[in-house]
Amino acid sequence: MILLFLLQLEKLRPENIFGGQVLERTPAGLTIVYLIGMLVLIWFLIMSFYGNFRRPKFNFEQNLPREVVKKLTSTLTNRSLRIWQIVFVLLAFTVYGFHVYWTYYATDANEQFQFVLNYKDMRSRRTSASNLRGWMLDRSGKLQNSLAYYKVDKDGTIDRTFPLEREMAHLLGTELGTPGLERTIYQKIEDPMPESWEILTKYKKPEPENRDVRITIDRELQAYAAKRLEGKIGGIVVINPQTGDVLAMYSNPTYSLNEAGSLEGHLKLKANLRDQPLLNRATRQFYIPGSTFKTFTMISAFRAGRQDIILQGKGSPECYTPSRGARPICDAGGGCHACGDVGMKEAFKVSSNQFFSQLANELGRERMGETANSLGITATETPKEALTQGFYPGIWNTSNPRIANAISPARSTIVNGKDLSLHDFALEGMGQGLAGQMTPLQMALIASAPANMEGKLMKPKIEYDIPPQMYSQVLTAEQAAVIRDIMSTVTEESGGTGGIVRAKLLGTGIQTGGKTGTADKEGVVVYNKDGTKKMKKVKQKNENGEWVEVEVPETYKRWDGWFLAIAPLENPQLAIAVVIEDIGGSGYGGTTAAPIAADMILKARELGLLGDKYKPQTQEKPAKKKGK
Amino acid sequence: MKSRASSHFLILILIVLLTAISHYAVYYGALIRGYETSFLTASRNIGLLTVLAFLPVILARVFRFQGNWTLFTASVLLFSIGLTVQYRLFSDPEYVSKEKKSEARQAKIKTAQLHYIQENYSPEKKQMIGLPPTEPAPVDLSKETPRPVNDTFFGVMFSGRTLIPLFAIFCMVGVIWLMKRDDFLKLLQNNGFLLVLLTLVPLLLAAVTSKAGKSIGNMTPWEPAKIPFLIGFAAILAILYKNLARTYWGVPRAKDVLPLLVMAMMPFFPFFVLKDFGQMMVFSSVYITLFVIAVRRFSQRFVLIGSVVFLVGILVVGSLPVTTQEKIPLLPTLAKPVKAILPDRIQQRFHLWLDGFNPPSPETDWWKDDYESHYQKMVKKDPGLEQLAKDDPNTQKQINIDAWFDVLAFQPAQATFGLHSGGTTGRGLGLGYVELIPVSDSDYIYAALGEELGLFGGLLIILALLVFVSAGVRTALDSRDMFSKLCCAGLTAFIGFQALVNMGGITRALPMTGITLPFVSHGGFSLITSFVMLGMLMAFSHRNAVDRLAEQPPEGFSNT
Repeated sequence: MILLFLLQLEKLRPENIFGGQVLERTPAGLTIVYLIGMLVLIWFLIMSFYGNFRRPKFNFEQNLPREVVKKLTSTLTNRSLRIWQIVFVLLAFTVYGFHVYWTYYATDANEQFQFVLNYKDMRSRRTSASNLRGWMLDRSGKLQNSLAYYKVDKDGTIDRTFPLEREMAHLLGTELGTPGLERTIYQKIEDPMPESWEILTKYKKPEPENRDVRITIDRELQAYAAKRLEGKIGGIVVINPQTGDVLAMYSNPTYSLNEAGSLEGHLKLKANLRDQPLLNRATRQFYIPGSTFKTFTMISAFRAGRQDIILQGKGSPECYTPSRGARPICDAGGGCHACGDVGMKEAFKVSSNQFFSQLANELGRERMGETANSLGITATETPKEALTQGFYPGIWNTSNPRIANAISPARSTIVNGKDLSLHDFALEGMGQGLAGQMTPLQMALIASAPANMEGKLMKPKIEYDIPPQMYSQVLTAEQAAVIRDIMSTVTEESGGTGGIVRAKLLGTGIQTGGKTGTADKEGVVVYNKDGTKKMKKVKQKNENGEWVEVEVPETYKRWDGWFLAIAPLENPQLAIAVVIEDIGGSGYGGTTAAPIAADMILKARELGLLGDKYKPQTQEKPAKKKGK
Repeated sequence: MKSRASSHFLILILIVLLTAISHYAVYYGALIRGYETSFLTASRNIGLLTVLAFLPVILARVFRFQGNWTLFTASVLLFSIGLTVQYRLFSDPEYVSKEKKSEARQAKIKTAQLHYIQENYSPEKKQMIGLPPTEPAPVDLSKETPRPVNDTFFGVMFSGRTLIPLFAIFCMVGVIWLMKRDDFLKLLQNNGFLLVLLTLVPLLLAAVTSKAGKSIGNMTPWEPAKIPFLIGFAAILAILYKNLARTYWGVPRAKDVLPLLVMAMMPFFPFFVLKDFGQMMVFSSVYITLFVIAVRRFSQRFVLIGSVVFLVGILVVGSLPVTTQEKIPLLPTLAKPVKAILPDRIQQRFHLWLDGFNPPSPETDWWKDDYESHYQKMVKKDPGLEQLAKDDPNTQKQINIDAWFDVLAFQPAQATFGLHSGGTTGRGLGLGYVELIPVSDSDYIYAALGEELGLFGGLLIILALLVFVSAGVRTALDSRDMFSKLCCAGLTAFIGFQALVNMGGITRALPMTGITLPFVSHGGFSLITSFVMLGMLMAFSHRNAVDRLAEQPPEGFSNT
């Protein structure tokens, strides 16, 4: 009997009434009970007081006339007291009204409050610390290949761990500065701070949930890219041109995510102006593309239907002179590499400056601008406009705009306004001058358009599980095939500027295409080791016309090496852009960047990313077979 | 439901029951976060409330108390809510401990993470993390080992948190006993001025010689001084209010006005020296209340209220945010001299009130020093920052924002976020993050309450307060002589306005000042003072009831 009673008692425990399997339901339910109970009690109090609220009447008053009673009872003082009471009630509800304001209206009405709430509310930090993020898996989707996961460390705390904490730093992003994938890619918890009635009504039996995300990066390839760039400044972007999958994206110098996690470490990295480790050079640094940009000019010619154009290559000192009095444009080293009547194929192979600068003016500004737009480049009217274009998240194929914003590249631009001189526009055609705002990601995209079997530019994507998306139909399938063929002359034929690639891939049977580039950039500031600008003293005329000594930052002319590659030629699975800063006056893109690209192809082959070239493959998923 | 001792007894018993429920909610919420709450403290709280619940029975028997119980029940209701919120706060190891704050925080975060892992991760994932591979399943709290509480029976029962409320209840009973006697009341009324002087001397001494209460922790030992000041003012006003109506060319005589003014000004000196602006605000509103009630001529009321509104208006205009000032013509010119005169501390409070989410520029007088010290701390951590701040105005702006919200505006801002996150029904007892608001057990208890009990919790406080004030006004209405009337009105106004100033400070309806929420906040002297005031009001109510019974006319007078 007693046992039965005890069993009943067990059933009456609040956990069993409210609980379910959500722990929070018990206190939330009890809180609601408490609130309702207390309000009922106050109601009782008010009711009990109500009888007392009116002034009790004395018996003798009942016989007196009304006016007399009124005069007798409502003295001036009592009336003042009543008025004071009403004022007090109003004041109390005003104060309560402010409470209501902060609860319901402040986020909409008060922008400052909204900003500070997002930025400084310690509660959201606490909830985000308690709510674990998903794991980030690489393209293999295996748990062992996670790029970000949790681990219990020595003193028992659960820490976020990044196996590639330096190699993936720019992609994953820090907790303090600009967000990266870590802060955006995981599904947000719907409402981390529910109210008690919401807990009671909405939160039902929990199903085990999975917040993991699989991304397109290949862990090994990414690590290899980082290894290959060690000690150099530059960036690598590897894209699958058929789907837009980003296989690797790396920028050096990099930083350690653990180091950047603390405010101190972050500030230190931010203060390093010489190396700028926080800058993702692969997406947010502008480079002069140099000869690699001739790929772009070539694509423009194909789009205009003028791929068979024959142009003159002239010797020094005449070369190509766009307009009378303008500086002649010669091939590298002066004179002409391809002289006389030259066609597209030969000019591309030897990277003729004369040909492509002439071609730009032949095609005209409208054609070039239209091609630029189809490749995700913004064509602006004036050079000034080109400087203020911001970022371009729209190029990404993502499930969520937050992700695109986090990894959005700087907007690459060319200038094609009417006011531009023929000479300036000619320079753009060969990748110098005002074409100097290209990101490595953009260059990889330029290479990936002809590398796509249907001539499409696929939007780059970082999430593995979303379908590929086309950015634009840049070329027809036939044109793309012809361009691939022309690109292969650079690497496969003797005399091509990228011959080193063939040498490296000898015996693998992989045929490639590519384009080299060597760009010079004037006026690069020299930094001291401590991160300050190196200054030099020069004599300058001031406004009074006197010669005075002033300090100006010391600058030099920097040479950057470029290489674009596509491989394997017959069905490209890789479009690679490599840029190496400051290769010195004697280096070339073909000797500095090209070997790295070749090594990347070899590594990808080893990892099975190139697929089996003898069998037709589906374009979405490259088969996971090892190359031979 | 009639206002009888028995029905109040029922309400009080129900309050005890509900408080037990709320304590269980706090206990369970704590278990979810991985720590235990003290069973002893909970039973202590229930015990205290039980004592209060049985007090009416005792008082009715021993004193033949006949007054209105509403005052008492409303206060106990407020007190019980306070006990619940304090229980929530003081059992949180993160809130209580001083050195091991971050350790306690980490422990809580880890518990939440482990719960998530237990419920959602597959065995394979658990193994990779370094935990035993088990199938995902709901958390079973009975199998976990929460952080234990370490308290002893004597530690809890003889701590200030037990003894002070007991002492306060004792004082309340004593005051009821004293004040219901005619001779004692007469003594007070006749010696009002002496009483004020006697209070003023130690208070001024304390104010001048040292920082007084600040040295005894968070206490404010001058809190009880409110009562003699009030009695003094009520006594002199009760004598003079009729004379004030006698005017010559519309002006009352100096010999009627001056003593009143002197009496009214007296409490302001010590509180000004002590920089207790909250008390000054409460005092001025109470004195205005008394004056408005007692004075009979409309013009005199108008002059008083008008001048107060004018003064407050000038203050507010002077400290409106600059952007708002610029929108109204002539206002910046008017505000300039006011700004020059206002003390830094008040300017700072006003900025926090009117423009609290907008950090002031680092050049502002009252912000410069705090900003500099924060900045130096940052620079010490990272010497490169100085150069960075020089080159980039945005960095400096960022440092300023961080400094503002981490130093001066931290507490009010976090409190407002708390109110915001509470929503309608609150996050639930034990489920909020009230431990993030510093000292939320006393000054900021309304923020803690708003976070965990939401708007309904706030409504509880407001309604209980209004019931209390209405009952107080009722007592004043029923009082027969001017002195009792003014005393009752004053006591009610003290409790009422103190609560409003406190809640207004947190909801940003008024500038924040460091005073407590009567009956709810955890406090020493302020709690005792509140209970003594309650005792006085109850005594007056008792006297009214006795008077009424005595004045009941003989049978024959009525013919009902």
